[in-house]
Formats: sequence, C-alpha cells, structure tokens
Amino acid sequence: MAEFSWVSRSPLQHALVAGAYGARDVEPGVSLTEVRNFELIQIMARRGRWADLASAAKTRFGVAAPDVPKAIQSPDAALIWSGPDQFLVLSKGGKHTFAPLSQAFSQSASLSDQSHARALIGVSGAKARTMLAKLSSIDLHPTVFPIGAAAATSIDHTSVNLWRGNDRPDGQAVFNLLVFATFAESLWHTILDAAAEYGVSIAYAEELA
Amino acid sequence: MVSLAQTHRLASGGLIDRSAPLNFSFDGKILAGFQGDTLASALIANGVKLVGRSFKYHRPRGILTAGSEEPNALVELRTGARREPNTKATTAELYDGLEAASQNRWPSLRHDLMAVNQLFAPIFVAGFYYKTFMWPAKFWEAIYEPAIRRAAGLGRAAGVADPDHYDKAWAHCDVLIAGSGPAGLAAALAAGRSGARVILCEEDFALGGRLLADGGTIDRVPAAEWIARTLAELATLPDVRIMSRTTLFGVYDGGTYGAIERVNDHLPSPPEHQVRQRLWRIVAKRSIVAAGAIERPVVFAGNDTPGVMMASAMRTYVERYAATPARRVALFTNNEDGWRTAETALRAGLQIAAVVDARPEVSAAHRALAAKAGFPVLNGSVVGVDGGKDGVRKIAVSLTGGARAEVEADGLAVSGGWNPAVGLTSYHRGRPKWQDDISAFVPDSAPPGMVAAGAANGAFGLGACLSQGFAAGAAAAQSAGCSGTAGTPPVADDEAFSLTPLWHVAGKGKAFVDHQHDVTASDIELAQREGFESVEHLKRYTTLGMATDQGKTSNVAGLAIMAAVSGRSIPETGTTIYRPPYVPVAIGAFAGHHRDENFHATRLTPSHHWAAEQGAIFVDTGLWKRAQWYPRAGEKDWLESVTREVKAVRSGVGFCDVSTLGKIDVHGPDAGAFLDRVYINTFSNLAVGKARYGLMLREDGMVYDDGTTSRLAEDHYFLTTTTAKAGPVMQHLEFCRQVLFPELDVQLTSVSDQWAQFSVAGPKTRDLLRKIVDPAEDLSNEGFPFMGAREVSLRGGIKARLFRISFSGEMAFEISVPARYGDALVRNLMLAGKRFGVTPYGTEALGVMRIEKGHVAGPELNGTTTAADLGLAKMMSTKKDFIGRAMAGREALAAADRQVVVGIKPTDKMRRLRSGAHVIPKGEIPGPDNDQGYVASVCFSPTLDQWIGLALVERGRERIGEIVHAHDPLRGEDYDVELCNSVFYDPDGGRQRG
Repeated sequence: MAEFSWVSRSPLQHALVAGAYGARDVEPGVSLTEVRNFELIQIMARRGRWADLASAAKTRFGVAAPDVPKAIQSPDAALIWSGPDQFLVLSKGGKHTFAPLSQAFSQSASLSDQSHARALIGVSGAKARTMLAKLSSIDLHPTVFPIGAAAATSIDHTSVNLWRGNDRPDGQAVFNLLVFATFAESLWHTILDAAAEYGVSIAYAEELA
Repeated sequence: MVSLAQTHRLASGGLIDRSAPLNFSFDGKILAGFQGDTLASALIANGVKLVGRSFKYHRPRGILTAGSEEPNALVELRTGARREPNTKATTAELYDGLEAASQNRWPSLRHDLMAVNQLFAPIFVAGFYYKTFMWPAKFWEAIYEPAIRRAAGLGRAAGVADPDHYDKAWAHCDVLIAGSGPAGLAAALAAGRSGARVILCEEDFALGGRLLADGGTIDRVPAAEWIARTLAELATLPDVRIMSRTTLFGVYDGGTYGAIERVNDHLPSPPEHQVRQRLWRIVAKRSIVAAGAIERPVVFAGNDTPGVMMASAMRTYVERYAATPARRVALFTNNEDGWRTAETALRAGLQIAAVVDARPEVSAAHRALAAKAGFPVLNGSVVGVDGGKDGVRKIAVSLTGGARAEVEADGLAVSGGWNPAVGLTSYHRGRPKWQDDISAFVPDSAPPGMVAAGAANGAFGLGACLSQGFAAGAAAAQSAGCSGTAGTPPVADDEAFSLTPLWHVAGKGKAFVDHQHDVTASDIELAQREGFESVEHLKRYTTLGMATDQGKTSNVAGLAIMAAVSGRSIPETGTTIYRPPYVPVAIGAFAGHHRDENFHATRLTPSHHWAAEQGAIFVDTGLWKRAQWYPRAGEKDWLESVTREVKAVRSGVGFCDVSTLGKIDVHGPDAGAFLDRVYINTFSNLAVGKARYGLMLREDGMVYDDGTTSRLAEDHYFLTTTTAKAGPVMQHLEFCRQVLFPELDVQLTSVSDQWAQFSVAGPKTRDLLRKIVDPAEDLSNEGFPFMGAREVSLRGGIKARLFRISFSGEMAFEISVPARYGDALVRNLMLAGKRFGVTPYGTEALGVMRIEKGHVAGPELNGTTTAADLGLAKMMSTKKDFIGRAMAGREALAAADRQVVVGIKPTDKMRRLRSGAHVIPKGEIPGPDNDQGYVASVCFSPTLDQWIGLALVERGRERIGEIVHAHDPLRGEDYDVELCNSVFYDPDGGRQRG
C-alpha cells in the first residue's frame, strides 16, 4: 500500500525567492518576510454575545478582545480586529488550534479555521511606508498608525488585514499583512514591483516569531 | 564634443548650470543648451523662433509663454515607443540627447504645404464642420472625420506599447499647498512651523514660482537668498514634504486631490526599477491654492506671429534662463506689471524699440526711464504685426487720437493683465467672481477645506502674496488641529498694479483668441450672430478652450469679446464650468501598475503549479487561472484532449480542481432558518452529514445562483456558490444577515481560500479513494450514500471532507483538504490513481460533462431565467417564504410561453453547433418577430459522438422532437436542430447513485 506524504505548501512557495531583489546598489529599503506555519482562527460573536465572547477571550488569552481596529498582542497570540464583533486569533503553528478554541468559545461565538486561507507577510525597512503608500490608502504615519493599529482594507483590489506589529530591534516599524491565499502570489508580484526601486531583501520563516 | 554657439544666450546670469552643457536636437538639427534649461529656453537661446504649426490653418507659431499654459509650442518629444506627442516645450526639461520634433506639418516645419488651409480660411470658421460636412451623414465617420483629422491636428501617438512603467501612490497630510511661489512657500513655513504635516506640490523642477524670474526683496534679502533660506528651514521641519515636478491637477470628494509627479521625465529613460511618472492621490485636511496667475494676451491681428510673447515669459527667459527671445524688443501693455519687462530688457542689454501703453496715463517714472534709455513710449495699441515664419519684423500701432505708427522690432512682449489660476478652486462647480480693480476672475467659493492665497486669489503684490500665504498656512494648520505657533511672517513691499482693461484691438487680419485651436475674434463674433451666445455654447461651437491647454490663455479673453459683442458685462457673460485635470495626464499614469499581466489581480488554485508542471492550458475565468485541459503529446487540438479527458472519466476515473467555487461557513443556531429564507428550497430539515442542491433567487424572482450546501453540524452548514458568483453571493448573504434578518443568530465566514477541493469522478472513483482514505472509512453506497457529506481521515494522518455530489453525472465525490495540502493531495491522487489510469481534467471536460448531463451553469443562470425556465420549478417550496418568491409569481415570469431550457442536437449529425445562434420555427424567415430563443451552451459530446447543446426556447419542453431552425448571422450559419430532453446522459441518474 502506497504511503502518502502530506507536505504543507505555502501559497508563496513558488513565487518567493529568498535573497535580494530590485535595486542592488543601495542598502535594501524594504524587507519582506513570509511566515509559513501559523494558526489563524476567525472568531465571530453570536448574536448579542459580544460581552460573553470578550470575557471568554480575556480568560483564554489574558488580554481584551479588540472591539475597534486594533491588534492586541498577548504572550502567545495576536488578536486582530476583523470587523464588528469579530476578530482573528493568530498564533504559532500548533498553539491555538481550531478544536480547543471551538470548545472554549462554543457558548458565545462561531469559529472558522483560516490557517490555510491566508498568507502572512511582514514588511519592514526604511522604505516600508513609502512602498506601502503605493499599495494602500491607509495613512501609516507613526502618529496615525502606531504599534497595534489595524485595518481591514484592500491592497491592489485585494482584501487584506493590515496591522502594525512590534518594532524590530533596530527600531524599524513592522507592518503585517494577511492576504487571501489564492491572491497571494499575484499580490506578492505587485509588492515586488512597488518595492524594486528601493531594493528588497526577501526571506521566509517557518514559524511565527 | 562639438561646441555649438548659443546665439541668443547672455554671457552671464540665469539659473542655468553653465558647467553642465547639454546637446539636443530639434527636427534633426543638433543644438546646445545647459542643465536647468527647458526645451523652450534652449530653443530660444539658439535663436529658434518657429517651433510649430497651428491646428487648423497651419500658421507658423513660436513660443508664447514659459509655463504649463503654453498653447503653441507643442512638440513630439523622444522617439520610437517613447514618442510623446503634444509635449509643451515650455515645461519639458532639457536633458543630454533630448530629441524633439515639430508636429502637424508636412513635409517640414518651414515648408508646410498644409498651410494652404489659410487660403480657405473664410470657410474654416466656427462650426464649419457642422455646416460643411452635413451630407451624406454616413460619410462623416468614413470620410470626412478621418480627412479632417489628418489635415488639422496635433502630434502622432507612438503607436506601440509604452516601454516605461508608471505607478500610483497615496499621501496624507494636514495641509496641502499647490505652488512654491512666495505665497506657497510662506504658507508652508507657517503651517510647518505650527507642526502640521505639509505637502507642497510644485509643477516646475525649480522652486520659487515667479520669484525665479521677477526676483524682489523679501525680509531685506534678495528673493533667491530668501528661497534658499526658506527651503533650508522647511527641511528642518519634521513633516514638510516638497514635491517638485508635481502638478496638482484635480480635487475630488472628501479632501482627496490628484497630482501627477514627473519622476523621470527629465531623463532620457527612467533608471532601472524606476517609474516614469507617478500618480498621487493626496488626502488632505486643508489645502491652499497658491498656484499663481497666468498673464493674458491681448487679441490683435497677427498676435500669433512667432516672436510675439507674453511679457512675463520674456522676463522668465531673460532672467531665469539668460536667453534672449529678441534683440530689439517692443512691449505692448495695458498695465504697470508689463513695464517690468522693459526693465529686464534694459538690464540684459537688449534694445527697446518702443513701449506701447494702452492706458491713458503713463507714470513719470516710466517716462523718465524711456527718456534715459532712449526709447519711445507710444500711447495706443498694437493693431498689426508684420512677419511670418522668421518672426516679427514690424509692428503697426494705432495711436490714441487716430494716428498710426510703425515700429521695427524682432520681438513683441505683450501684457494684458493677469488671470488668477482659479481652476483648482472651481473644480467642485465653483464659479469665480469678477474683481474690478484687476479686471479678472478670482475664486468666490472653493471645495471644502480649500482656500486660495496670493496671486491665485487676486493679490498680485509680493508683500500681499507673502502675507496671504503665511496667514492661510497658519490658519489651515490651526483648523487641522495643530497648535504650534507660526512665528514671524516674511515681509516685502507691494508693487504698483494699475490696469486699464483691453481685450481685443480691432484690425485687419486674423486675431487669435485661442492659439491652440485657432479660434479668432471673428469666430466669436460669428458665434454671437448665429445665436451661440451662452458661454457654454460659445465654447462648443467655436471649440474655444477645448484644446490640450484648456484655454488657460484664451478663455477669459474669449468671453470678454463675447460680452462686448453681446452688450453684456463680463460677469454677466460668466465662465464655463471648470473641470479637472488642470494639465493633461498620461493614461499610463492612471493605469499605473495595472497593465499587461498585471491588468488585474489573479487568483491561483492550490493545484496551479502542479497543473503548470503537467503542461495544462489555463483559461482566465474572472480573476482565476483555471486548467482548461491537459494536452498530451501527439494530440492535435483541444477537442482531442478534451474528448480523451471526458472518455477517461466516463470509463475510469478523473479529477478536476473545483477550489474556485465560493465556500461559506454558515454558523449559528438560526443557520437553517437563514438558509430557508435565501434558498427556494428547504435546508432546515437537512440531516447532519447530508448535502443538498440549492437555488437562490434575486428579489425580482430571477435565479441568482446555485450550489450544494452541506450540513456538517447542527449549527454549521457549508455553503458553496458558483465560481463567478462567489463574491457577490457572500455580499448578498451578508446583506441578508445584517439588514434583512438581523433577528437571526447566524454568522458567515468566507472559507473559499481555506479549502482545496477536487471533484473525483468516474466509475473507478471509489477504487481510487480507497487507496487514499483511511481503510476504516466506509465508502460503500450504504456507508456513504449519494449526497452524503462528512469528515474522513486520510492515510498519512490528515483530515479531509468528502461530499458525494456529482456535476458530471458519474459516480463522484468531492474531496477537500486545508489548502496548503492541496498540492500534496493532487500529487497523491495521481499516485493512488495510477493503476486506474486516473486522468486530470480541465474546465472544458467539466463543461462537456455537465452539458451531457443537462446541468445548468453560467450561460443558463444568466440573470434572465426563472427556476421554472431551468426546469427547477418543483424546488420552489410552497411551505415557506424566501427571497424572490413573491416577484417570481409575476404574470410574465410565470407565462406559459417563456423561453425554457431544452436540449438540442443538429439534424445533420456531423454539424458543429455554436452558442449564440437564434432559434426560429422551421420554414420561417429569421427576424425579431420569429425569434423564439437562442442556443446557450454547446459541446462536442464524446459519449454521443456528436455536437449537443442546451438552448432557451419558447415552450421548449412542450416541443420535444420538433425540428427548429438555428440562425447564426454572426458566423453566417443556418441549420436545423431537433429539440430534445436536456439530459442527454444517464437520464435516470443510475450512474451517480451507484
């Protein structure tokens, strides 16, 4: 009997070539990092049960669930606002998986696993904001879009969740993008086109940091 | 390098970089200029006066202005694929190797045979197209218009794809400023010091506006020093961004502005990875229009002769570029500002032939200047210009009192006063108001958040520009919520500005109002006589102001002449409506990144790269790339490949990626009740572990979408949509949930991208699946009956969902796994199915099998069909309400003679069918009266070995067996077809249930 291997393949596996891209005579202005293995669970409050959901979330994650466009970082998960009475839970592969969360929120919410539905891209570097201004209508100025700010928006006609994570150790801002998996390769090329003039450094990480 | 004499370049001065000489060519002739030149200033420095031919009469034309308002000096810039017609020489920055060519002339600029048009000038009057080319009407498109376009025109498009790239970007600020003249810079200072985020757009490559030519003293230092000092201070402010080479061209809703940045137009081609131009959408809380004013010509005979130039432009060429448009200059002015050109000319060592001042009084100071420099001051007006393609030779002056004088000169500077640039302030249908003291329109209202300052607001003095700009900048910052202090404003004196309005000097010969569209004063008078008195009619009848310059130098003069001939005041005559863009913007900039393969985003299925490895042919379906068929070596065409795929499925097993279907999790205690309302059939009674086909209507009773929905748990349904309607159905359901049925406890999440889903079909489907599914799972007909749906374990450890549903009519399952396992699944299906001859199939084979089975799809679910039309009337529940129920009962939607889905096959078995053919009764003459429907879907059926189709035909189901006629005028085909049952294959469904 044949044995089957089930190798997980990121929607960016084909398109992402680690290394440098675009202008080479400058220090890369944009760093792109794909994270490949993560859990992403959509949690939507049942009708009239937001307060219960928020309280269950507090118990589960130790932080308040976002009720405005924010991404709230707990020690082991990011709770990312995705719409009224709903948010996404992003965690390391195997950390907050669908089944136990479904149990925990069974009284107050409906859950859908989105771990395979999105690709996760981190954008940073001195030209990150300049490059993202070509793609997004959101004002990413530090005073307007501080750490933890989030938006459910579109980039190049493609729906994304965009939020600002913690700064890199060198102080550079980090913008995280969750893009629908089937759009990911197309958007990736758009990002590379937008970033090429600034010089790009491309990498991927198997696990969420 | 060849050193080329610049015969009209001053030995010193100007803002050009004499250490950076540049070569360029005009009509093939090599010329020289300097870094800091425009093409126009370099042409002037080389003594070139003739640069183009006019639109209609092919009259020789020179350079009229020094800015983006230029109507005359349009050239084709660059060559080959980068050739860019109608480029203003006055704004094109000179670069080494620049190639420019004059346009709209044949065979050459100096000897333009089309100038014969001037002889026919009497018939080329306003409205001549409409008067002349009336009959026969059908000649217009085929003959008249192309001929007119050849004779009258502008430059030639490159005709091939633009090799350069463009992009688009967003910017955000508190205060947006248009213009970097004294008002704009003062506004930026005040706003920036107050702590505002400031963006200042300047269309020129140099900052300073009129200060670059007119100088002056600000804060007791020369203007150039003040500019440098100001820019240095602005650079220290954290959030002030100066965007040069950027024109603010439009104002849109919600404080959004359009701007075009010419990122690399000043280079032969953009550096690698860089764009040519960038389109900006700027979101600003407040904006300040400090766009200055445009000097206006006076309309007199011969005012289009090369060498006639705006007085301010002549100052710009001399002061900023050290280039002399003429050696012996005459000046014609009706205002004080014009005299500054005389001062410039004297400083540059040019001769002044005469100053013609139309005002009754000339100041003692000016008379003293004239006496000292030895030139006459003539009280009167220029009535004619003697000259031609070599430029101005002589000027005829009508003196106050009636005498005439002639003045020999090789250049004539003209100043008719200044028009504030009111475009940006008027783009929200604002109408500017008339201001008597400057005889010009000034902004009256402006779009929300916008103010005008300085010359754009009718304040022409340097001191007033600075104080208005500074005050506007401080106020804008305050109202945008910035609390810093603006500090001390820059100060300067105001120059005197006195003007006696003069628009048109009557005389013999053509007097041009709109140089670019060749509209003369007499055209306007004619329009008035013929009743086109309203400015909007005047504009369209004469084409005044409709050229690429949008009448920046001509509109006000045109309506002033109309006012005069119609006996009204200028404000009574009014202005036409102002519309963006302020300057022409390349379509490429609006397209940005979205061209060629990036025209739109693409979606790839989880098996895409595997399919590409197999050599699949892909088809664009919406945003998706889908495998259409998988050709094999030796197959001569698509039909052979598709036929093989269908036969392989019908006789063995095949699979197809159906991940493109929309997939929606419907959660919540009321999920069933919700689905009952959106589908025509009932879902609340669906057992857990079962799937059901559902049909949705629009509110108007027409079919909206279909698909299978499975119940995976009491409070969890998994709904699928068609590929095409995945997005719209999600929106529709969200609307139903949030707006129509907020009382229901139901939650929706799109999971389209979470699941890779494959249809596995054919009699050997179970054999294949048993290889891949955990042996503990029961796939027998009893253990997993038709329309069953549940989670199963696969060998190797992951979970999948199996749905026993069939689109092909075969024994089939759909199997889905989390999308990142999709690639592994397709490879494992190939592995597991190898011994069964498993065959991947594409959308063509999918389509063939659904037509054979009589399943409706996009061509039948086309927005004009009802459930009954599709043969699905029985699905409409009578026990519940649902969206579309009431409207579906309308008389016409329930009529017995509706066109309904029926099968068709050609009476000649060898005949190919084509969709789109009309169905008419046999023996009738094709026409609207006999049109009984159309062929919707066709295919070659390998199973029946002939072409078959689905058609929508009046009373079709009652006419099975009838021979009708298919009429296909598009392809010129006529043939007979037989109406038949729409289910061609396995009508009792034994195969899919087996």
